[in-house]
Amino acid sequence: MRRLLPLLLSIAFRLALWCLLTSDLSWLNLLIGLVIALLLPRARSRPMPLGALLLATARSLLAIPQAYLEALRLIFAPAVVEIEASEPATDRALPLLVFLDVFRITLTPFTIVLGLEDDGRRYRIHSLMPAPKQDGSRL
Amino acid sequence: MQGSLVDHTSLLLLGAGLILWFWGSWPLLENRSYLSKLHALSVADTLGSALMLLGLLLRIPGQWPLLTLALLGLIVWNTIFGYVLAACSLPARDRTPVEEQR
Repeated sequence: MRRLLPLLLSIAFRLALWCLLTSDLSWLNLLIGLVIALLLPRARSRPMPLGALLLATARSLLAIPQAYLEALRLIFAPAVVEIEASEPATDRALPLLVFLDVFRITLTPFTIVLGLEDDGRRYRIHSLMPAPKQDGSRL
Repeated sequence: MQGSLVDHTSLLLLGAGLILWFWGSWPLLENRSYLSKLHALSVADTLGSALMLLGLLLRIPGQWPLLTLALLGLIVWNTIFGYVLAACSLPARDRTPVEEQR
């Protein structure tokens, strides 16, 4: 199952895109879509832990409303500070999980992934945050 | 009555998207660091465009398959291009791209 999962996922994803593109759910069109999904080249599939994939997908979806909140905070911030931060990276043997991580972090306006550091163990992140309140009270 | 509510909501979403576009594009003309411009642009591009597409989705529900596809494409590719631009802005010697395999 773990070996089959990446194949099924990529076929389902391609078929869904085909259906959206053609907006036609007739049997013939579905068949054409399935053939195209099977014929398109595929990356070498690796065993995929389902739990980790679901968790990463859920976190990526949650990042969307969070991105709007951060955008509002950034728009109304009187001042901003730039910081370099880092976050532990997932195993690079699972490119889909890494993709979802990069997507989740870069989607939110506060943070952008710059690459890897510490020999590939952490994401290097550039972040732009509203300045802390106490900076405003000059004495 | 219901139609006008949908119309107003869609106008609101389109307007909000436009505001985000201008807010995020304006810093491009200012004298700021490259990466902080990129942060603002991610607000404008990704989030503003997504709001606009939601507004269009309410306005032309008949075209939902293509609009959904556009929404998906915009969110994913804008975000990933943001990462690519940020990663490429670093000097080559201290750059370790995420996609690099050992």
